[in-house]
Amino acid sequence: MNIIGPDYLVFGVDDIAACTEYLTAFGLKAVDVSDKGGLFEALDGTGIIVRRKDDPGLPAPLPTATMLRQQVYGVRDASDIAAIEAELGKDRKVHRLADGSIETTDDLGFALKFQVTKRRKLEMPAEKINAPGAPAQRKPNELGVWQDMPAKPRTLSHTVLFVPDLDRIAKFYCERLGFVITDVLKGSGPFLRPKACDDHHALFFIGTPEYMKGIEHLAFHMGGPTEFMLAGSRLVKAGYESFWGPGRHIFGSNWFWYFNSPLGTHFEYDADMDKHDGNWVAREAPAGPETAQVFLFQHRDKWFPSG
Amino acid sequence: MELCQLSDLQDGEARGFCVPGFLHKVIVVRRHGQAFAYLDACPHYTGGTPMAWKKDAYLNGEGTHLACHSHGALFDIETGRCVLGPCLGQSLQDVPVHVTKHGGIEIAALASSEEEA
Ligand code: FES
Ligand SMILES: [Fe+2]
Repeated sequence: MNIIGPDYLVFGVDDIAACTEYLTAFGLKAVDVSDKGGLFEALDGTGIIVRRKDDPGLPAPLPTATMLRQQVYGVRDASDIAAIEAELGKDRKVHRLADGSIETTDDLGFALKFQVTKRRKLEMPAEKINAPGAPAQRKPNELGVWQDMPAKPRTLSHTVLFVPDLDRIAKFYCERLGFVITDVLKGSGPFLRPKACDDHHALFFIGTPEYMKGIEHLAFHMGGPTEFMLAGSRLVKAGYESFWGPGRHIFGSNWFWYFNSPLGTHFEYDADMDKHDGNWVAREAPAGPETAQVFLFQHRDKWFPSG
Repeated sequence: MELCQLSDLQDGEARGFCVPGFLHKVIVVRRHGQAFAYLDACPHYTGGTPMAWKKDAYLNGEGTHLACHSHGALFDIETGRCVLGPCLGQSLQDVPVHVTKHGGIEIAALASSEEEA
């Protein structure tokens, strides 16, 4: 089962216009978007799909405040879809669509879809830095930053869910779908990566009461810390609401900056996440401010030390 | 301290104000000709976190409730009580305001001591 990671997250919302404004400001590109919603994609084609909450084409809503309606995972090829269909078909309905993708639900009722991934292969350099003692990464006269330098989300990175039964959900993703636990924040929950993904996490669970069930946040990978800081600063300057960050997480090592959204979840910019393979041994730490970040800053307006 | 004129707000409109002495912004919302005010501090996470998704965007899309745009909690505009979402049953902290005879919305007193910066 070669699951690569989330292709799309699907939301049912009550204000398409507000979501269109927000997702565009976040740096996603509207593709076929009308007053009924549509796809907002990152540079590799992964992204967010919004529909009106009463759109009959959406899976049923959860009975909570969450607007998340479906998580769409991309897999390598049709044989992976067949393997997932065979495995999950043992104890639940799996619905095959005309395009070969399949829809079902996980053990806690979150709607899932699996498709041969629609993501496009990205060929872009990472942020380049110069440091004494190491070969310069930028050529002579190549600039590191300029005010209007592009800073677009490259790919959908991960999803974080509030779940009422941590053991059950972790078991489902690991035993039935081949995810691996990379680290655990005790008191919150486990970080997971699917087998065909080497990112530290594509999924993280936070244990909560049933009435909170839903999505805590989703994240997009940026090209490096500079693009990450630029994109976040631009959102703040445009009047959007920063929730937490900028800072750098410990588990995963990724830079983080979270923003509120009209989709009822945080949108995170992240950058420079750790990669792992089968040799990694999961760590454990108690959840709290000290284990959640190595440092945390808060945005302030531009300033200049003049007389 | 006067925040704005009641007539500056359309019915069903909300606005956030930075008020000296308050750690959080103060949300003022007009409903049926009356002004209601709460701290911009969602009770879901400890300490209270900001609720708008953009400056002054405090209502849900349908305009029926104050909303926290972190996880979609909905609050009754007239009581501040959470009716759906992660802080179900909890309430926004009420900020006492009154409308002056000149139509200004005024914070009655810097009452809440925990809000003193
Ligand atoms: S922080 Fe407000 S609903 Fe979660
Ligand atoms: Fe994250």
